[in-house]
Amino acid sequence: MQDLKAVGKRIPKIDAVDKATGRVEYIQDIKLAGMLHGKILYSKYPHARIVNIDTSKAKQLTGVRAILTGKDIPEIKFGVYKDNRPLKTGKVRSYRDEVAAVAAIDPEIAQEALSLIKVTYEALPGIFDPEAAMKEDAPLVHEEHKTNILKMPWKLHYGDVETAKKETAYMVENRFSTTWVTHCCLGTSGAIAQFDNTNNLTIYTNTQIPSLAQKDFLSALKAMGLRDKRVRVIKPCIGGGFGSKLDTYAYEYLSILLAFHTRKPVKIVFGREEEFFATSTRQPTIMDVAQGCDKNGKLLFRDISMVLDNGAYTSWGATTPSVMMMPITSLYRVPNVRYEAMCVYTNNTYSQAMRGYGNPQATFAIESSMDMLAETSGFDPMELRRINANQAGDVSPQDFQITTCGLDQCIDEVEKRLGKKTPKEKGVGVGFASLIHVGGGARVYKSDGCGTIIKMDDYGKINLFTGATDMGQGADNMVAQIVAEELGLDVADVHVIHSDTDVCPWDVGAHASRTTFVAGNSALGAAKKIKARIFDMASKQLEAPPEILVMANRMVMVKEDPKKRLEIGKLLRKFHFSTNGEMLMAEYFYDPENENLGRDFKGNTSMTYTFGTHGARVKVDEETGKVQILKYVAAHDIGRAINPILLEGQVYGGVMMGIGYALTEQIIHEKGEIMNPNFRDYKILTIKDVVPIEAPVFETFDKDGPYGAKGIGEPGCVPTAPAIANAIYDAIGVRIKDLPITPERVLTAIKAKKKLES
Amino acid sequence: MKQFAYLVPRSLDEAISFHEAHGDRAKYVAGGTDVLVKIKEGKILPDYLISLKHILGQDRPLLNQETGELYIGSFVTHRMIEKSAIVRIHYPILHDAIRNIGSVQIRNVATIGGNLVNAVPSADGAIPLITLDATANIQGPKGERSVDLARFFLGPGLCDLERSEILIEIVVPPLLLRTGSAYIKFGRREAMELPMLGVGVLLSLGESSVTCVKARICLGVAAPTPIRALEAEAFLVGKPIDGGTLEKAGKIAAKESRVRDSIRGVAWYRREMVGVLVKRMGLKCMERIKKLAQ
Repeated sequence: MQDLKAVGKRIPKIDAVDKATGRVEYIQDIKLAGMLHGKILYSKYPHARIVNIDTSKAKQLTGVRAILTGKDIPEIKFGVYKDNRPLKTGKVRSYRDEVAAVAAIDPEIAQEALSLIKVTYEALPGIFDPEAAMKEDAPLVHEEHKTNILKMPWKLHYGDVETAKKETAYMVENRFSTTWVTHCCLGTSGAIAQFDNTNNLTIYTNTQIPSLAQKDFLSALKAMGLRDKRVRVIKPCIGGGFGSKLDTYAYEYLSILLAFHTRKPVKIVFGREEEFFATSTRQPTIMDVAQGCDKNGKLLFRDISMVLDNGAYTSWGATTPSVMMMPITSLYRVPNVRYEAMCVYTNNTYSQAMRGYGNPQATFAIESSMDMLAETSGFDPMELRRINANQAGDVSPQDFQITTCGLDQCIDEVEKRLGKKTPKEKGVGVGFASLIHVGGGARVYKSDGCGTIIKMDDYGKINLFTGATDMGQGADNMVAQIVAEELGLDVADVHVIHSDTDVCPWDVGAHASRTTFVAGNSALGAAKKIKARIFDMASKQLEAPPEILVMANRMVMVKEDPKKRLEIGKLLRKFHFSTNGEMLMAEYFYDPENENLGRDFKGNTSMTYTFGTHGARVKVDEETGKVQILKYVAAHDIGRAINPILLEGQVYGGVMMGIGYALTEQIIHEKGEIMNPNFRDYKILTIKDVVPIEAPVFETFDKDGPYGAKGIGEPGCVPTAPAIANAIYDAIGVRIKDLPITPERVLTAIKAKKKLES
Repeated sequence: MKQFAYLVPRSLDEAISFHEAHGDRAKYVAGGTDVLVKIKEGKILPDYLISLKHILGQDRPLLNQETGELYIGSFVTHRMIEKSAIVRIHYPILHDAIRNIGSVQIRNVATIGGNLVNAVPSADGAIPLITLDATANIQGPKGERSVDLARFFLGPGLCDLERSEILIEIVVPPLLLRTGSAYIKFGRREAMELPMLGVGVLLSLGESSVTCVKARICLGVAAPTPIRALEAEAFLVGKPIDGGTLEKAGKIAAKESRVRDSIRGVAWYRREMVGVLVKRMGLKCMERIKKLAQ
């Protein structure tokens, strides 16, 4: 193996000290001269006709600068289905519907103005259950859409499931469900919009997609009659993304509209309660799963249908079935697969992307079902998984090309660390679940690319402009470490500038665990161009051909004769301060050779896939139904760990998020109203709930990854819930098929089992 | 958030006179972890906050060696109680409860008196103190008075305090020999949690170390106020204590509880858990008595 100096090193997050000492600027900290504060009035009903909005009293309040209602704004449509508008006209379809927006000289006045706006509603019958919403006579959420079922046909059938069902020796068929959970970003949402004198827009906003947000805002300007304008998106430091910022939202458009009307910068920042009820959740699902295997344990088919609660509007979240297809068709070798999913409008909050993008829901159903199939067929659960494990060189039914695959190793390692099942202590059990996820980008958009610009100064230091969005996950470290490695510099020599669309090149966004792979390769490409140029320059000075030169310790030198060397800064200065001087700059745009899914949903969506196996040892209190996790092991094949501490951080954080998903977290809805919009009653786990986690990694050195790396942003929370559900079954013989696995559900299942046995 | 004036009296008398001067426009505040949240949420809108935390002599729980009474000043922070060796060794039930309130940051500023006068059904501070037969000392414009803490709570958010009165001190009477006590906060996570149920049990045994001579069972979130499970207590007195009797006592206590459905927990589950947890806390009391004897 190469002797690496920066890649693979445990280098603390570049901005860790600034964050710990409060020096970084979040959206909450940013103040612009003359800035006004915006607030949003939300609906009082889950479904109602807006009869009248009276803003006359609010307008008279001193300090109020603008009040907008749906009638005052142009037709700006947003969301993947273009069914949402910044302010609603005609009717409201959920409690989080924006009815009016106010800009005032301070937030308190804006808030007071909201209380003076009189909205008259005529309540309409609501629909809150997606299955009921599919019925013919159900109230329509969007009348013009004619049905509550979204016209997005998520449907595939590879092989022949019906024939396979006839040939199968063992088969299981079950229904699973998952509910709403939310990202719980510590930094709440916010945006500041500002127009210059010629109506070019600058917007500071918490986003994971600066370049796509720019495009959305340009369309909004167009709808406002502002053609051919510029939009600059600046992303301040974000306190957590987890997929919540993969779309543009009403509040961003409202800050733009209010700024346009007042000619002042307008800031909208969410409070915590607002963050809970007015941002989007993970999709609740109802999942019917059938799987079967032959007498040797080989999977013959998988047959899955799902209903997803879309909520009242459509965000990218409605496309999560496209990612659910990945585990459904390609987690383990399964030749015959059928899948159908329907996203259904309801008067609930609308769902969005959230870490895993559908994969946690689908994997919960598949991997719970795998254990049930193991029991039915008499195979050991891990043996059944080994028999069917993906292998390098496989092409899955969805045409995914598995280039590297450490699934076998992960299964073995987790089993080794958690021990064999027997002898058993009462109430204690172990359970496992595996995962597949995109690890080499994901072509969901026309481009899956990312650009990098490197600019070197006279002292051998680098300004690196990347399209990548750091949101705490460590994109900044990752690119710095890769570039430092390639150019023989210290990581501290690389200053990373990210997320300002005026300065940084295009990137499709921080999603799909793609940043390390795509932005890493992009940075590497730019560094290679710089390196070639430096070798070129040094070659003349050292009188040696470029092929025998290397860069290390801020020097360029002859590999076999390190005494023949030049300090990089010196070399750069020499070329800068000479006749026809030049400075060293390079740009590189990397767009992986992955494929968009076709009409049949086939296509190698990612250059490589990340695999992993999780396992939990749990103890179930049979009197209270409480589940305690004694030990958790999360093994992943990550290609190469660019930075092991950040990698472990991703896995630990993912696992804790997954445990919350499995056991405690849920947004409680009552007829569309969120009953627990606060950290007191939304049970995200705390530092004191952290369980012992081991995170072994397997480096399979993917040929396409930067230094062999694959993505690891999402996998940590993907197979957590099924691993725990399987462990609970192993411990006490009850199968919980609905998330979260609350003590009440466990105790109810225990009682039902006892009743059945007696 | 509404603006207010912040008043800093140096004595209880001064605090009371401030309150009398401003009446309903004023609100006492100590740690502020409840009061400020309520102001932020617009639930109360005082023009004056009268701070009690600068009043001296309220820095730690004190044991009166002669009488055996434990005195806890109302403005003592939870963290001080948690760190008190006297409390940890002799009043483990209080330690059980206090160390699991909120987070370290909250316990550093929140006071025990604040926890009590806030009078929420889930108050973790109240249950162990009622279980210990504590008395509340109150000072007001008309002078001082005492009230049994078990009678202090009148309803959710309501306690036995007249206008301008201040809860100044909690007094815990001496413990009988061979006494064990324990509290469990039953929730869904380990910190920043309101209990789904709070259960405090105290048992004192006779000379034989078998028969119960005194029993206290106090339940939080099982009714609009903290309640004692009197029938279950009466059932235990005079009986030899073992798993069987405690299980029966738990079942009686479960029947006495007036639990209800809420987003934090359903009634059937809470009721059932009263039974399980009373038994478990009873067993823990027995363990602690044994440990004391050694």
